[in-house]
Amino acid sequence: MNRLLYFVPALMLALLPSACTDKCTETRVFKRFTSVVFTAAQIRQPVTTEPVRTLQEPGKIYTKDGFLFINELKQGIHVIDNRNPDAPKMVAFIRIPGNGDMAVRDNILYADSYMDLVALDISDVTNVRPVKRVNNIFPSGQFNGGYWYINSQTGDVQDQRVDYVKEEVRTDCGEGIGPTNNWGGNWLAFDSRSMASASSTGATQQPSNGTAGSMARFALYDKYLYTVNSSELQLFDIQNPADPKIGNKISMAWGIETIFPYGDKLFIGSQSGMFIYDNKNPQKPERLSVFQHARVCDPVVVHGDKAYVTLRSGNTCQGFTNQLDVVDISNLLGPKLIKSYPMRNPHGLGIDFPNLFICEGAYGLKSFDATDVNNIDKNLREHIEDMNAYDVIPLGKSLLMIGRDGFYQYDYSNPRKLRLMSKIPVQRPGVIS
Amino acid sequence: MKRFNLLLCLLALAPAFTATAQTVASSSVQPRRYPFVNYTEVGGLFGRVVSGNAGAELVQNRLSLTAQTLNGIQVSKRLAVGALVAVDWYQSALLMPVGAGLRFQLTRPSSARNVRVLATADAGYALNWLNKSSSGYAVKGGLMLNPGIGLAFGKPGAGSFLLSLSYKRQTAEVEKPIRPNEIMRDESRVYNRLALRLGISF
Repeated sequence: MNRLLYFVPALMLALLPSACTDKCTETRVFKRFTSVVFTAAQIRQPVTTEPVRTLQEPGKIYTKDGFLFINELKQGIHVIDNRNPDAPKMVAFIRIPGNGDMAVRDNILYADSYMDLVALDISDVTNVRPVKRVNNIFPSGQFNGGYWYINSQTGDVQDQRVDYVKEEVRTDCGEGIGPTNNWGGNWLAFDSRSMASASSTGATQQPSNGTAGSMARFALYDKYLYTVNSSELQLFDIQNPADPKIGNKISMAWGIETIFPYGDKLFIGSQSGMFIYDNKNPQKPERLSVFQHARVCDPVVVHGDKAYVTLRSGNTCQGFTNQLDVVDISNLLGPKLIKSYPMRNPHGLGIDFPNLFICEGAYGLKSFDATDVNNIDKNLREHIEDMNAYDVIPLGKSLLMIGRDGFYQYDYSNPRKLRLMSKIPVQRPGVIS
Repeated sequence: MKRFNLLLCLLALAPAFTATAQTVASSSVQPRRYPFVNYTEVGGLFGRVVSGNAGAELVQNRLSLTAQTLNGIQVSKRLAVGALVAVDWYQSALLMPVGAGLRFQLTRPSSARNVRVLATADAGYALNWLNKSSSGYAVKGGLMLNPGIGLAFGKPGAGSFLLSLSYKRQTAEVEKPIRPNEIMRDESRVYNRLALRLGISF
């Protein structure tokens, strides 16, 4: 017996080559882009109302008067009766080729359709009626990280289809030496964002606006619709909501992503920083200051004299920063960083002070108490994982959240334990392994 | 951090406890029924890693520093059990496994035998308290298994020198920074190493 024991070390040495090899596997999901071309005629087919369909690749969310609008990326808009949040009911699907953003004033829905802006009468959501189309107002844009632009010679739209690819690769168990598939191209970012309601804007008129998420590129204020593309702020005069007229165009820095109206100010999220515009003259916003940061994407929301900015990598911004910045904007001419908090991959966010909700992309949804701006990380109330979170809209009691997995609706009466009220699942495009 | 400091204090005091126990044992008429034991070892974790895709594999040998101490009791002439704390310094992860271990004397106990063969078995969970990751990275520890065999040189009942050879399996999960075009990026690590250690026991 004892002699046999002496063979144990020899046996272990014999097994060394196979047994003593580290096994490190990196799993990643990335976007693959394929060029596609659409003619103007294809894009400008009449906007129609179609029977309800399942969510496949949801983009931004928007809500107004108990109705919910969920963008189906580049396909159109799902209309959902959400007056009973426990049982939202899909009502119709508005087919709008090339749609990514939306805003609603009164009974008029504004939506982009690649290079055009369309205005739709949604008085009867089951029979939406186009009332106006503004042609060729948006020269370029991006959906989900894929850029599109108008071919000036042919008039066609050159776009990119996005597929999600899952890949597992053996690594050397170290940092920074992961496999790199050089897919090139552009990526990520279909954003959606929040339109200010009339009550928050202090507008003197009584228009009825909806509410958007933090990733929106459309915003309503006073008698104007504000839209941002990668480098410009384009205004539309909607004094007559059914007849949007082209307004001023204001050049901005490159990499503009989101717009958030707050009071008589506009907060613009860009890849290089947060821009603050004075909007006392709604016809011609003027830049007050910029809060610069690393080259990453940054939706922003505001409460009081604090701005909450999430910076994320993994998108067109190419940066490697993932964090929440809390910025003191008491002096709008000189915003100052109060503190940064590391995050995983933050996307949209929403604040219903003191409740701060941050979407962490593939890493779920986080609920914070933002009362103490210097200790937000220590006041994480709940982290819901195993879901994909892209953007949120807190509505006082219920939280609307959209992600690649579906649309979720939570009751956050108890912010430490969000209660799922309802979910509309996504039948999303398959991940290619 | 408080937990970490407490643990360090306990580790630092462990030899004192043991010495005190021995003093008490030697001064008492009745020896302790379950005397304290301590096994402290340092050594290397030998292994390699193969990365890259088939056809473009990169093979690298790896050697990591390891140290551990096991404090416990001798429950019988052959068997000692205790709690262990270790530190394993992998290339990009400094892990601190905590858990339980046993030392079983395979050879028949004899006062004339100065070399004893031991079977060792440790298991636990690695903490990441000592680790510091690069920006965007976050290491989480995982399960640890460490069976092996060892030799103890010394007279029974006195201090011994140890030489052990064991297989160590350590898992870890790593959050990695997301790069352009990616929406998710994580890494699952399994360190499979041959552990060669030297140490002392008393």
